[in-house]
Amino acid sequence: MALNFWKSSHCQQWIFDKTEIWKQRAEDMKIYNEEEYNRLNIFWANFITAVATEGAHSQANVGCKLRQQVIATAIIYFKRFYLRQSFRDMCPFLVASTALFLACKVEEHTTLSVSSFLKNTAIVLPKRWGVTFETTSTKNGVVYDSEFILVEILDCCLVVHHASRPMFELLEDLKQFTQQSTIANQPIKDLEAIEAQCQKVANDSLRCDVSLIFPPHVIGLSSIMVAMELMGRGEELEAWLVEVDTDFEKVTDCVEQIYKMYTLWKSFDEKEEVKKLMAKLPKPNQQPPPQQQHQHQQGYHL
Amino acid sequence: MSRRYDTIKHLGEGQFANVYLAQDLESGECVAIKKIKLGSREEAKDGINRTAIREIKLLKEIHHDNIIGLRDVIGHRTSIQLVFDFMDTDLEHVIKDKEIILMPAHIKNITMQMLLGLEFLHVHWILHRDLKPNNLLMNKMGRVKLTDFGLARFFGSPNRNYTHQVVTRWYRAPELLFGARSYGVGIDIWSVGCIIAELLLRNPIFPGESDIDQLVKIFNILGCPTPETWPNMTEMNSYVIIKPQTEYMALNYYFSAAPQDLLDLMAGMWTFDPIKRLTCTQSLQMEYFRTQPFCCLDEELPLPKKQQPQKRSRRLDDDGTRPVRRLNFD
Repeated sequence: MALNFWKSSHCQQWIFDKTEIWKQRAEDMKIYNEEEYNRLNIFWANFITAVATEGAHSQANVGCKLRQQVIATAIIYFKRFYLRQSFRDMCPFLVASTALFLACKVEEHTTLSVSSFLKNTAIVLPKRWGVTFETTSTKNGVVYDSEFILVEILDCCLVVHHASRPMFELLEDLKQFTQQSTIANQPIKDLEAIEAQCQKVANDSLRCDVSLIFPPHVIGLSSIMVAMELMGRGEELEAWLVEVDTDFEKVTDCVEQIYKMYTLWKSFDEKEEVKKLMAKLPKPNQQPPPQQQHQHQQGYHL
Repeated sequence: MSRRYDTIKHLGEGQFANVYLAQDLESGECVAIKKIKLGSREEAKDGINRTAIREIKLLKEIHHDNIIGLRDVIGHRTSIQLVFDFMDTDLEHVIKDKEIILMPAHIKNITMQMLLGLEFLHVHWILHRDLKPNNLLMNKMGRVKLTDFGLARFFGSPNRNYTHQVVTRWYRAPELLFGARSYGVGIDIWSVGCIIAELLLRNPIFPGESDIDQLVKIFNILGCPTPETWPNMTEMNSYVIIKPQTEYMALNYYFSAAPQDLLDLMAGMWTFDPIKRLTCTQSLQMEYFRTQPFCCLDEELPLPKKQQPQKRSRRLDDDGTRPVRRLNFD
């Protein structure tokens, strides 16, 4: 996907200021405080990843493990959706399944139906988080509508630019720099291990809001910095970073947010706390949101 | 915002959508509204049609004078409506209207607009995969725009196989007919060559009746590829040996009125080996665009006098000036 990022809908419509993001979540902030919401951010990303991978394993006949890119796209759809809507408007588990379904199509991946993802939800949720989930309420009609609603709320912006592409370009640059440069004493070692660690950090960065705040190359560079730091090899980057011409104020900010997320994640006892967070999740409105007034609104239940 | 458009009439029905002519009440301009169908119960399981998804995702990101503009999207709980630039006609109608005389300057203009739009797509790693005269729209200002991105997709990812069942057969490149699963910009350029030929002949140049017949029609005119002109040909999935039924003649036998520089351009677009085939950028740099007659002005392009009778017209009254039916957007 080598579309020009600067002219993309991602850049023009879906990059926000931090304060703007919290303002848009005002409705849900009546129920959750900021820290709880940040924990939810971690949970939703873990949950979407689990539905896409673990559930599929347990169903022998499906055998379709989704690629990371599809999962990343789905998580970003989910985050964008709840900037515009609140948990009260539509059941987040339905949105998660729909986001995976839509992401599969957009990334030209074979897909399961939304109901299969919902079935995975019913398997994964109790197993990992001890939360029960009933699929009874999500009738076919609702499931089908959900895709239209999602596409509408996303304002049809379906192409998402992920951090990994610019990140691998930067890593290639790093490799060449350390090979040529006279400042660095020797070429960088264990590039494969570095690449794997960077990819992991980039995936983890989806558990906070950086993908709504920074362009992908900033997240890519931040992921490299965090990854190297975690490997205890941060100083190996120093000579190269001097040569990288970018907005380091943003990069520093992004790195800090990724660290914050890691700190929170470490103290987040998912097994215990998710149950409490889910108990506070508002029941979807019986009144449809103003954009989608329709005669037959069915309730979504947890 | 949905009250912004006033439906004037039904224009046609596609595979996954109905198209309506409407007026944008804010600007007074005409627009085409594509209403994506819900589909049957069986299809509903798969949700929004994949071709519709491709069209939405690509057109939302690309903006170019020679590519149809997606102006607006109207969401509704159970449907999505895409608002496009309204275009008065398409090249198929222009070609079929025998009252229209296409001058060399007209053809050069149309060819150039086609190539500029396609070059933009290819630069952004998008293959159109379904170029044909009725996917090239034209408005009364003479602007030509590529449309119908239902088959378009990103290319360039390694290890990805694509289906060869793309492109309407008459405009399909030989590597697709031989079952190629990985292909590139060449398939779109081949189609452009066929469209230029059709502008000259006013009939399709390779009207094959089956995939094999398509190859026969191509080889009858262009001669057979050889291992020298197309080295990897014999390794293709569904390679077959085909003997041409007629003697090979140079292109100027079929296009007696076309100048040599245009024949060179077409021959370059019809190079059998996709790797050696011209790219859009190379095509635009060919001698053809540097020689007289130069392109005419856009507004000098001829339009069909009377529009073809609209198929499936749902107009309720005959005067047609008043909107007779409004879409219910709420």
